[in-house]
Amino acid sequence: MNKEAPLSVVERDFILDALRENVRLDGRSADQLRSLTVSFGEEYGHVKVQLGKTSLIVRISSEVAKPHDDRPFDGIFNISIELTAMGSPAWENGRQGDLEAYVANVLDRVIRHSNALDTESLCILKGVSCWTIRADVHITDYDGNLIDASCIGIMAGLQHFRRPDAVVKDGQVIVYGLDERVPVPLNITHKPLSVTFHTFDEGKVVILDAARKEEQASEADVIIGLNNAGDVCYLSKFSGSPVDALVFVTKTTVALEKVKEINSIIDKALQADLAKRAKGGLAEQARAENDRLIG
Amino acid sequence: MMGGPIASLHPLSRADGSASYKCPSTGSNVLGSVNAPVELPGRRDALKPEDATIEVFVKPGTAPSGVGERYVEGILRGALSRIVLGREKGYPRRGVVITLAILGGESIGRGGSYLPLLPALLHTSILALLSASVPLSMSLSATMLAVNPSGEIVRKPSITDARAAASLHVLAFTSKGHLLLSESEGRFNFDTWDKVYENALAVCHGTSTLSSDGDVAMTENMDTQPLEGFVRDTVEDHIRAEYAWKVDAA
Repeated sequence: MNKEAPLSVVERDFILDALRENVRLDGRSADQLRSLTVSFGEEYGHVKVQLGKTSLIVRISSEVAKPHDDRPFDGIFNISIELTAMGSPAWENGRQGDLEAYVANVLDRVIRHSNALDTESLCILKGVSCWTIRADVHITDYDGNLIDASCIGIMAGLQHFRRPDAVVKDGQVIVYGLDERVPVPLNITHKPLSVTFHTFDEGKVVILDAARKEEQASEADVIIGLNNAGDVCYLSKFSGSPVDALVFVTKTTVALEKVKEINSIIDKALQADLAKRAKGGLAEQARAENDRLIG
Repeated sequence: MMGGPIASLHPLSRADGSASYKCPSTGSNVLGSVNAPVELPGRRDALKPEDATIEVFVKPGTAPSGVGERYVEGILRGALSRIVLGREKGYPRRGVVITLAILGGESIGRGGSYLPLLPALLHTSILALLSASVPLSMSLSATMLAVNPSGEIVRKPSITDARAAASLHVLAFTSKGHLLLSESEGRFNFDTWDKVYENALAVCHGTSTLSSDGDVAMTENMDTQPLEGFVRDTVEDHIRAEYAWKVDAA
């Protein structure tokens, strides 16, 4: 199996005809994102993303390991995504489908290969020990645009995660528990996000953040990965019919706007969560400065 | 000390049935989904053509799944296949796919014991099965008990309690009070297990079902609510909320 039930001819025609009249299934405009909520769990790096009806949970974890032999100064960062029958009945447990491999590849390229997480800062002792950071993506509900939603989840998770503090004393690595020392945030170099567009009607209609049915009715997809500064770090036109080069140019501007919008939503959620944690947290207790009396 | 477990029914929209469950003592948080009946690819049904095939998949939160997960899947499948009525109309030769994702709490390291998570996994799967309206002969409730090195039985042990324990026991009972599953770990003798059994039955079903021994009567007030009642209440609350329109109209 491993494939969603295909759209009926009538349904496909309906979606296409509506799009030709600039109407989408859920009444959004072509460049509008579905409602996005990012929330955090109890642990550091536990993120819940809800994008329209698509929802997923990302968990970031850290572990001390031996660095790769060819890169003794680098820590290790892995993204793991496994599609289970939870997200969609069409996915089979324990068997990798095309979609899974595709999503994993894009996430790797957008986040890992663009060096969003500075792996050099994960090194503890050259060639001996380093941090391994692992991002696990659990898809709980699938309704299209898996890539953007996972990207948002992982980036929010990396910014939220705190790893235990570790020091090297006389060649010995000491790792302090989360309650012994203030845990350390990860070193994020930039915040890339992916924005997916789908094209219809021989490339004449291009929409952003397609829902599952729109995805199924589309001809081709274009993924643009870029950060707040507008640096494009990933561009892909993976399959489907050809897309006009001008689409890439014009949609990059739209994508930049969206990336800024999404990043500000993530920042807001992070600030709110950190403010909640700051009350009575370890960081508060360990602070050396006194509260300044005003007035 | 702490409240009872927290559960919600049908939090997901794509799966046929789903449930989330949070155990207060171990802090584990499990999300489960059930798809049933579904077509199974291949000829996995060839062994039992008159029965449904139950598939359980456990997905750890922060690690790749391995032998530990396969092992616990086997335990869950064994226990649940006693309950699911796989011969009902529409079920033979189809699959009941149960997916359990461990979303919170301390993750189990490589080679670590899965017993502390087992009650949460069992409760999540029974609630998800109920939410998917899979025909069941009865429901179940499960609990973990730890026996500490001095021989005392610890109810609702935390992860630290479980680590320090001399032996760990997970027992599951059907809604009729029969023992459905017993998994133990560590060193213990049969007398200890007997005591564990009585304690577990009291946790799951209250003391009313116990023989009039008098020995365990003192435990009556210690527990807020037997676990069997908890499963029932969760489902009742959900149904009441779903049928609010009808109840209000009446």
